[in-house]
Amino acid sequence: MPKYVKFKRSKKWETELNKCIRCGYCYELCPLFKSYNWESDTPRGKLLLIHGMITGRLEPAQEIVDKIFQCFYCKNCSDNCSAGVPVTDILTDARADLIKAGFDVEGTIVQIDEDLCSVCGVCVSLCKYEALKIINIGRDEKKVEVDKIECRGCGLCLSACPSGAITQKEGCNVTLPELHANIKEILKDAEKKLLVFACNYSIFPGMQLSKSETIVKTPYAVIVTMCSGRVAPELVLDAFEEGAWGVMVAGCPPEECDHDGNYKTRRRLILLKNILKDLNIEPRRVKLEWFSTGESAKLKKCIEEYSKELNKMGPIEAYAKR
Amino acid sequence: MKKIDIEKLKKIAGPENVSNNLADLYAYSGDASVHQAMPQVVVRPKDISQVQQIVKYANKSKIPIVPRGAGSGTSGHAVPIDGGIVLDMKRMNKILEIVPEDMLVRVEPGVVDDDLNRALSSYGLFYPPAPASSRIATIGGEIAANASGVRSVKYGATRDYVMGMKVVLADGRLVKLGANTRVHSSGYQLERLIVGSEGTLGIIVEATMRIYPLPKYRCLGVANFDKLEDAGNTISQIIASGCQPSMLELMDGIGIVAVNKALNLGLKEVGAIILFEADGNVKSAIDYEIKKMKDICEKNNGYGIEISYDPKERQRIFGGRKKLFASLSKYQDGIICTDLADDMGVPNSKIAECAKKIHEIAKRNNVIMAVYGHCGSGVIHTKIMLDPKKAKQWKDADKVIEELYDYVHSIGGVTSAEHGIGLSKAPPWKKARKDIIPMMRAIKKALDPNNILNPHKIMDAPDDWVNATDLRYKVGR
Repeated sequence: MPKYVKFKRSKKWETELNKCIRCGYCYELCPLFKSYNWESDTPRGKLLLIHGMITGRLEPAQEIVDKIFQCFYCKNCSDNCSAGVPVTDILTDARADLIKAGFDVEGTIVQIDEDLCSVCGVCVSLCKYEALKIINIGRDEKKVEVDKIECRGCGLCLSACPSGAITQKEGCNVTLPELHANIKEILKDAEKKLLVFACNYSIFPGMQLSKSETIVKTPYAVIVTMCSGRVAPELVLDAFEEGAWGVMVAGCPPEECDHDGNYKTRRRLILLKNILKDLNIEPRRVKLEWFSTGESAKLKKCIEEYSKELNKMGPIEAYAKR
Repeated sequence: MKKIDIEKLKKIAGPENVSNNLADLYAYSGDASVHQAMPQVVVRPKDISQVQQIVKYANKSKIPIVPRGAGSGTSGHAVPIDGGIVLDMKRMNKILEIVPEDMLVRVEPGVVDDDLNRALSSYGLFYPPAPASSRIATIGGEIAANASGVRSVKYGATRDYVMGMKVVLADGRLVKLGANTRVHSSGYQLERLIVGSEGTLGIIVEATMRIYPLPKYRCLGVANFDKLEDAGNTISQIIASGCQPSMLELMDGIGIVAVNKALNLGLKEVGAIILFEADGNVKSAIDYEIKKMKDICEKNNGYGIEISYDPKERQRIFGGRKKLFASLSKYQDGIICTDLADDMGVPNSKIAECAKKIHEIAKRNNVIMAVYGHCGSGVIHTKIMLDPKKAKQWKDADKVIEELYDYVHSIGGVTSAEHGIGLSKAPPWKKARKDIIPMMRAIKKALDPNNILNPHKIMDAPDDWVNATDLRYKVGR
């Protein structure tokens, strides 16, 4: 573990960090907090850790670094901070300092399994942050390298990699195995007819305030996938197989997606609908809808209308389990 | 500090719910106050039995134990000044029962206020206290601080909603306090004793709270005033007139500038604004109340009055108030907003005078203070805005606090109306309430003889708040 960290990039943020009044309005919107539920996973918790380190009160340690590298950059925190603290900018600079000091980092950054990677470059072309690049590592030998400061953890590359060589640490319920498990668990409840995959970046925060369990029953369930571009077609098929009557994907409108993942989803779902016909499943069992931040009322309306439509359609015959 | 048997705690709550790694200890060292002190371990219990076992162990080993909700407290209630165990109650977050026929709800302590209201709204019901932090504040924390909010002028504070409670006492015993009936006259009202106890008497593990039907209509008005004094007088006249506002809020010029800077609201930068709301099921009755309040505003030189029933429009008008606290850090470069002297309660007739006094004391002591709050219910919020890096500014703040509270107490006001005493408000409170401190200590001793439950808070807090713990800012010379 590095002994001394020069906080060259992040030191400048002390005044901004002092402005955080720790009201906590950031944490109810944070997907990391919702996954782990510790104060150290909240944006204000991370800011406190960074403040501690740059002011010399808190010695950098691996467990702190692990927290700092967990963030999906949805920016729900900074967008909602009335004190105007630029949370993710501060986080990026702290990350750069910690990497420079030689810490091992993983967090929400994607990892590439070099044995599986064919260096096809699909991931490189779709990463909007230029966090992936192909480098030469010897004569005729190349590999894909991840820029650990620039990677936002959006996971678009994960769902696009044809070799399944890209992974991300589990724990936030966004990796493919976790999403599959989540779908299965939710659809055990026979009352759930509609599964909604919602983008964390636009619509989801408008709907959810915290993880409190409620006793109000709904005929639908929402799974947050981070970017809608993470909704791999097999997840939709999985939902049908587990008994869902329909699937709705809620993503950002064109031009509004931070990662351009919405276009990819649109293309994929068009292809999927063609396959559905062959599987004897009506294409309208899948629905793609666009929502901007704050359009939770529109989402609610869409869910209600689609639920009605699905009720008329009934269960999918091909998978008629219930 | 006493050594803690981490393995034992892991056996009780599960290893994934116990942490003593540095990141967690540091993150749990603070709440929304200026204070900071690290616990030795953080535990997240899931049920009553786990809480009982943890408390039993802590009592036997004489280890401090500090319950914590959302950590949105402003006076350091959840800051573990003596180390020990922080009990993060947010995992106990189930709404157990909604009983419309008895107009009550039974919840675990970690349920978030807004979540409860979201669940209640589908029954046409609501839980009224509504502190500004309702997006994250937990019911357990609200009870422990006796929180109130914008609607308290009509609906009262948390204490008015507590019907019953399950509490784990310092020795690990579970007691059921209160009743499921709207009134009871069966012995000491012990559930009320826990309200505002800030985790010092027991750990709230379940609460039965009263609920109300949602009113059919709400109408919100806003009026501008060139003079803060006129706005203050308007508030006391509205209350004295017999009007029943469901909200009556004040925001001074400093607050307006800050929210404009932070949220780009384009509010007219005047001396003060007043927000007034009426609610109910009969529109003509609301119209009557609103007109009466509007007339009083106009009589006191209020102008530019806007009135709306439309939810979106009400949201626009009210948005700034909800985020004012955080926005204050935007008021001036280099100056930040600290949660000090933040929620005194004063008689309605003294609001105008008190507001003037606050600005005067702030100016004399080189700090900036905004005046706002739920003035209809006598709550004046201020925040001390200062340069946290200068040691002298903390001395200035200390002087402001002393002067201001001496004044507030002299006019029959209270140290805290809705945030609690904790650490930072303890010195002025102790100065003013010498008479009741022995009684409070006797109660504390009877219920917690080993002094393990959130020790050294309220009456037992240090006399010097500035040095009671580390400040969460790096202070230079």
